[in-house]
Amino acid sequence: MSKISNAIYEIHHMDMIAGRDQWVNKIHPLVKLILTIIYIATVVSFQKYDVIGLLGMSIYLIAGFILAELSFKECLWRLRVVLPLVCMVGLANPFFDKVPVQLGFIHINAGVISMFTLMMKGAFAVVASYLLIATTSIEKICYALRLIHVPKILVTQILLTYRYITVLLGEVNRITQAYSLRAPKQKGIHFKVWGSLTGQLLLRSIDRANEVFESMTLRGYQGEFYYIGETIHMRWQDILYLAIWLGIIFLFRIIPVIIVIGNLVGGMFI
Amino acid sequence: MSRICIDVENVTFGYEKGREILKNISLHAGEQDSIGLVGANGVGKSTLLKLLVGLNLGFTGRIQIGEIPVEKETLPQIREKIGYVFQDSDSQLFMSTAFEDIAFAPRNYGLPEDEVKRRVNRALELVGISHLRDKQIFKMSGGEKKLVSIATILSMTPDIILMDEPSITLDPRNRRNLIRILNSFKQLKIIASHDLDMILDTCERTIIMSNGEIVCDGATKEVLLDKELLEKNGLELPLRCFTRYTF
Repeated sequence: MSKISNAIYEIHHMDMIAGRDQWVNKIHPLVKLILTIIYIATVVSFQKYDVIGLLGMSIYLIAGFILAELSFKECLWRLRVVLPLVCMVGLANPFFDKVPVQLGFIHINAGVISMFTLMMKGAFAVVASYLLIATTSIEKICYALRLIHVPKILVTQILLTYRYITVLLGEVNRITQAYSLRAPKQKGIHFKVWGSLTGQLLLRSIDRANEVFESMTLRGYQGEFYYIGETIHMRWQDILYLAIWLGIIFLFRIIPVIIVIGNLVGGMFI
Repeated sequence: MSRICIDVENVTFGYEKGREILKNISLHAGEQDSIGLVGANGVGKSTLLKLLVGLNLGFTGRIQIGEIPVEKETLPQIREKIGYVFQDSDSQLFMSTAFEDIAFAPRNYGLPEDEVKRRVNRALELVGISHLRDKQIFKMSGGEKKLVSIATILSMTPDIILMDEPSITLDPRNRRNLIRILNSFKQLKIIASHDLDMILDTCERTIIMSNGEIVCDGATKEVLLDKELLEKNGLELPLRCFTRYTF
C-alpha cells in the first residue's frame, strides 16, 4: 500500500475506532471534551522541574487506554510523526539552563530536567487528544464544541476539513499513481513537474470541494451543520465520570501523589 | 407527494459571454414523466440538469419548477422538491456512514429525529440497501455508493428526480437493480446518460441534445431506434440492437 493510501486508511480507521460500541465511546462528548481540555491545561501548568508530579498525571492516559480498550502501541505508531516533533521542543533547554542539580549520585543540569518536563507535557497533551478522538467521532466532538458555543462557522470548518483531508489525499493518490505508472524508473516525482502537479491538485481539489458543497446545498444546507441528529442527553453516569476524573486530576495536581505513595510504601519497610 | 412539472422556455446559458453551452432550450416535463436526456460528450446535458436545480444561475430565458421560477431567492423551495444524483458518488456522499448521509437532508429541513429515522429507513428499503444502514461510506463499493446516493435524495421525498449518469461505474447486476429502482419511482424523472439501453428500459420519452440544443424530443422507442438520427448526433443504436451471439 502506498504512503498516501496508508494515510487514507489510517484516517478511516480512526473513524472506525471512534464508532466502536464501547462504554467510554458512549460517554457524553462534552464530558470527554471538557476533561481533555482541563487535563491538558493541568499538565501544562506544572512547574518546569516537577517531573515527579507530572509523571503522576499519566494516570489519566493509562486508565483511559485501559477503559477504552485502546492499544498504546498503535497510538505510538499513529503519532510517530507528531511525538518526535513535540519532544524536540525542549531539546535546547540543557544548553541554556545550566544550573547544576544533584539527582541521587548523579550531577546533571537543571535544563535536562526541564527538557524532560517539556517533552512529557507535549507528549501527554498529544496522547490525551488521541484518546479523545479515538473514543469520540468527529461529529460528536463538533457537537460538543457547539454546546460550549464555539462559533458554528469554525466548527463546520473543523468538520469539513477533517472530511476533506481524505478527498484531497485521494486526489494526490490518483495523481501520483498516474505519474508513477508512466515514469516507472523514477523514485518519487521529478522536481520539473512539481509545479504542474500541484496546480492540477489544486484545481481538482477546488472542483471536488465545489461539488461536495453543491451536494450539501442541494440537500438543504444553509450554514448550520447538524452534526448529529438528536440531542445527546447528559446521564448521571456521565456526570459521575466527569466528577471522578476532575477529582483525580485536581488531587494529582495539588498533592505529589507518587511521592506520598513512595513515602508510605517506603515507611512500611523502614 | 404533490405533483409538479418543469417548464423551460428559451434558456440560453454559458460560462463565458459569446460561448454558450446551452442555446435556446425549451421543454416541458409533466408530472410522472420519465425523460432520458442523451447526447455526445460535452453537449450540455449535465449543465441543463444543473440549471434546473439552480446550481448554475445567470441564464437567459425562464425556468419554472411547478409555479416557482428558478431564481436565487427561490432556491431553497426548489431544492426541497428536487432530488439530484451526481455523476460521481464521492461528490455526493460526504458523511461517515450511509445513515448519516441519508439523514443529512431531512435534518437540514428541521424534521424531528423520529421522522428522520423513519425516512432514512424508508429510503433504504426503497433502494433495497437496508443492510448498508450503518456501513461506512469509504468501505462501500462503487455500486453501493451509487445506491446510497439515490437513497440520499429519496429521504427528501422529492417530486422530481434528476440523475446524471446513474449507471456509470455499476456492474451488470447493480445496473439491473438500478433500472428496477428507477422504474418503481412515480415521480417526474430526468436521466442524463450515455447508457441508451438503460434509457430504453426506464424512460418513455427521450430528448437528444447536440451542440447545446435540443435536436429531437419524442417517444424513446422511436428516437432511440432511429439509427440515422442517432449517428447524426454522435450516438449509436442501443447495444441490444446489435446483439448477435456467436459461439
